[in-house]
Amino acid sequence: MLTDPRPAAASLSLPPILEARSLTRRYRVGSGDVDAVRGVSLAVAAGEFVAFMGPSGSGKSTLLHLLGGLDRPTSGDVVLDGELISRLSDDAATKLRREKTGFVFQFFNLIPLLSVWENVALPFTIAGEDARRGEHAAAVRAALASVDLEGKERNRPDQLSAGEQQRVALARALVRRPALLLADEPTGNLDFATGTEILDRLWASCHEGGQTVVLVTHDAKAAAYADRVYVMHDGSLRDEIRLGRREDHGAGPLIARLTDLGL
Amino acid sequence: MRALDALARRTLVARPLRTILTIAGIALGVGVLVAALVLNAGLDAAAERSVHDQLGRTDLRVAAFEERGLSAASLAALATTPGVAIVAPELERRTYPFPEPGAGPALPVPVTLVGIDPAADGALHDRQLASGSPLPLEGGDVALVSEALARGDGLAVGGMITLNGSAETGPRPFRIAGILAGVPGDPDPAGRSVVVPLAAAQSLLSTQSVTRADLGLAPGGTITAVTAALERRLTTEPYTLSTPEDLVADLRASTADFRIAIALVAAVSLFGGAFLIFNTMAMTVAERARDIGLLRAAGMTRRQVTLLVLISAGHLGVAGVALGVAVGVGLAGGVTALFSPGGGVLGIRELVIPPAGLLLGALLGFGVTIAAALEPALRAARISPVAALTSRLEQSAVLRARLSWLTLVFAVVGVTGLALWPGAADGGAGLVRPLAVYGLLLGVALVSPFLVGPLGTLIGALARPFLPVEERLTRSTLVRDPSRTALTVGALAVALAVLVALGGMASTTRRAATAWLTDVVPGDALLTAIRPVPLDEPQLADLAAVPGVARLSPIGRFAISVGGQRLDAAAVVGADLLADGRLALSAGDRAVGLPALDAGGAVILPAAIADRLGLPLGGSLQVLAGRQVVALRVVGIAARTIPGAAGEAVLVGWPDATARLGVLGADVFAVRYVPGQATTAAADLEPVARAAALEPASLDALAGTIGAAVDRLFALLTALAAVALIVAGLGIVNTLTMNVLERVRELGFLRAAGLTRRQARRLVMLEAAVLGAVGAIIGVGAGILAGVILAALGAGPGVAYDPGWGNIGLALVGGVGLAVLASAWPATIAARIEIVRAVQYE
Repeated sequence: MLTDPRPAAASLSLPPILEARSLTRRYRVGSGDVDAVRGVSLAVAAGEFVAFMGPSGSGKSTLLHLLGGLDRPTSGDVVLDGELISRLSDDAATKLRREKTGFVFQFFNLIPLLSVWENVALPFTIAGEDARRGEHAAAVRAALASVDLEGKERNRPDQLSAGEQQRVALARALVRRPALLLADEPTGNLDFATGTEILDRLWASCHEGGQTVVLVTHDAKAAAYADRVYVMHDGSLRDEIRLGRREDHGAGPLIARLTDLGL
Repeated sequence: MRALDALARRTLVARPLRTILTIAGIALGVGVLVAALVLNAGLDAAAERSVHDQLGRTDLRVAAFEERGLSAASLAALATTPGVAIVAPELERRTYPFPEPGAGPALPVPVTLVGIDPAADGALHDRQLASGSPLPLEGGDVALVSEALARGDGLAVGGMITLNGSAETGPRPFRIAGILAGVPGDPDPAGRSVVVPLAAAQSLLSTQSVTRADLGLAPGGTITAVTAALERRLTTEPYTLSTPEDLVADLRASTADFRIAIALVAAVSLFGGAFLIFNTMAMTVAERARDIGLLRAAGMTRRQVTLLVLISAGHLGVAGVALGVAVGVGLAGGVTALFSPGGGVLGIRELVIPPAGLLLGALLGFGVTIAAALEPALRAARISPVAALTSRLEQSAVLRARLSWLTLVFAVVGVTGLALWPGAADGGAGLVRPLAVYGLLLGVALVSPFLVGPLGTLIGALARPFLPVEERLTRSTLVRDPSRTALTVGALAVALAVLVALGGMASTTRRAATAWLTDVVPGDALLTAIRPVPLDEPQLADLAAVPGVARLSPIGRFAISVGGQRLDAAAVVGADLLADGRLALSAGDRAVGLPALDAGGAVILPAAIADRLGLPLGGSLQVLAGRQVVALRVVGIAARTIPGAAGEAVLVGWPDATARLGVLGADVFAVRYVPGQATTAAADLEPVARAAALEPASLDALAGTIGAAVDRLFALLTALAAVALIVAGLGIVNTLTMNVLERVRELGFLRAAGLTRRQARRLVMLEAAVLGAVGAIIGVGAGILAGVILAALGAGPGVAYDPGWGNIGLALVGGVGLAVLASAWPATIAARIEIVRAVQYE
């Protein structure tokens, strides 16, 4: 079990943007308690692409929710860009999420009655900013262009394919250029080719845009885009696999390591 | 069937809030219906009890048409009429008990004196005694006093009561032999009556006549035969004949408007319940569409699916109806206790629970529930098993409710209510108004879907500068399921429309009821008498001589017979009206017509009566006076005159009233003060007036009293109609909760993306506010239109419709406020959404 994240973080050239310190999340199930995440400590450097793998129920999605400030740990802390998000009030945590993070989920979570443009502009709208003109409008256009959805601005989500819907969700996560992108099984509902498009775009935002990406997946091909892969088991970090920044995203080395680990 | 029932129950249990809200909505709708039926039965029972208490075993009542009453000769003729076995004469007048008027600072509360022949009376009437003994057959100065009088004035058996008589006889003491048990048929409006032997009453009041005589027919005698015989024998004095059934019908007719109003309110409340059940079942079908599709795939037939939804509705209906019957009885009891203590406004003294009424209410409630659920049930059966397995099911048209169905239910409720409502068949022309209003409300339900979009956008635009995020998301939510939004708005609009219409009617009725005070009365104040005051009474000179009193103008109200119809009439001094600039004529010249009244042989007609009789200016009104026909020339037609018991009064001059139409004196005197001396003159006039047994009141005070009585009656209707508003509120809770639950994942994502809990709460509250504002705008518009229709079809004669702007403001604010209040729980659900669960929610 990995307990000290510092050596891993220290090996990176940039300071950590995200830290988990002895993170535990306990749920009440029936008359007993279940630790979905237990004592996890890790650090993610700015600009790094980190993936979490593991079987269903290993706690990887719960950990992602804790890291993104969507959920509160039972014990331990999460530090996002120098702020203890796990100790902030709900409102303060919400604002921090609004400014620093972008989420992509397996279910696209688009608002069905808003147009593509309006869905992508939502982070601005929620912040009370006008996305119809000026630099925000330019950001929406750029985000849409980055996922190849120009010309679909007026469409409603139900007029798009699943891949296009997920690209809208990705554009929405990218539009404010958040420091941290959190993606929970973003390719789980997509075919291979469409999933690859999404992963390519995530990698580009990290590699070219300097954004930090945290990906949860059970697909080794998706995890192979990451610089580092944490393997989770029963709520804990079982292993850390360092793949380094690679252009080809080949899953071979990762699969080989996973095989070595008996996974 | 058992399996379907189990499945239906589980569906209801799965959404406890929705189930409870729907049951509550049905219960309230049925409750108002049952309350209306119970009140209806109470009114019927009160009318029958009142007539029974007044008439006892009387077969026929002969009442004097003129104030002077029936003479001894007429009584003798009655006694010898073939077929008549018993003649029980009664003399009824109002008088003051001791101390005599003017002895104290205020007049004592008057009593109604009833003189009876103890022997004949006992044969027809059962005068129940609470204590003491009945009047002795030999007569004397003994009295029975009512319980209310005994309680109010501290009287007891063996004590004395002194009653003021005519100017010649003065006051006379009576020994109290017994206390009469309180009964609905007490002749005194406040239940303060004194019964004395007829001879003593006639002696006290210096008269030989009687007010009426109750007849008991001999064996074999028939009403028809006796009526025919009386026509031949009673030839000198005009009279009216009534059977107990006639009097019951008259009393019932006097409450017809009220009954129709509560029937309308009940129909609207029930329809509010129908809105709720329709909405609920539509939501359930939409929510369970995938399950239904899977059940269809697993082999469930369309018929079974329809049955499944109807069984769910049946459970809701049974629970709602059972609760509604209890709510209705409680509501009727509350209304009776609050608005009708001791018989008060409605005359209902006790709650009457009609088994047939309860059954009718239950059947209507259950029927409406099933009818409202039928469309969603049929729609559910059309869900394709293939569509249920695709991701596009949510966009399927089969999930959209068809509002036209509900309007059909609305229409069926109206027709069924009309067919089954007790006494509706007797309503005749009176039913035109509620039917017109009901039709209008039906129209509101039909047009609501078309107005929701534009109005919602307009109202949302007002909120956009302050709540841009919430406004944008609200707009998208309201169009997510236009049927659901329109249903919710429609229920609120219909309830508010009824409230606004009632408010407008209250304002207009108040204005109509008091307009005559300022438009017709030639004075600043009124002096009212409890008996006709002859115009030659010496005390009137004292009143006119009070410094600052410019003029004393007598007004006498009575009835005349024209072509077999009873018309209200009033004797006035034309010169006073002319000098005061009162009474606007729509036809005729005031300067000619008003002096003509004083000259005699002339009449001024209210426009409504002129229209009804087809009499133009210069025409001749043929009035039956005794056995003579008096011709009065129409010298003017006025939009509004003085109100009588059943309508506007025909105006005649005093010479005709006293010399030809049997009027004994004035009931009211209009006092005009010298300009600038009103305050001092009013103070000086007061003791002089009271010494003459006249009660002074300013026009403002009278207007206030009349307005308060109107307000009390409308407050009752408004209270019942408010229940429909509560049902609409439950509908809003239901709809908003469904809206939130349907968007859990969206809301979760929005929260993940930075929407604060406060923003999530505001989002739902803004949705509610927009729904409320749209409903309020449509409701207010429809309410004003309904009020105008009611006014145009007969309410508020001669008075421009007053929509009651205060009520309208209240309806607008109340509609939005109710909706925002109803959003409290759904908004809390939205604010408490757990992001992690929400984003994983499928």
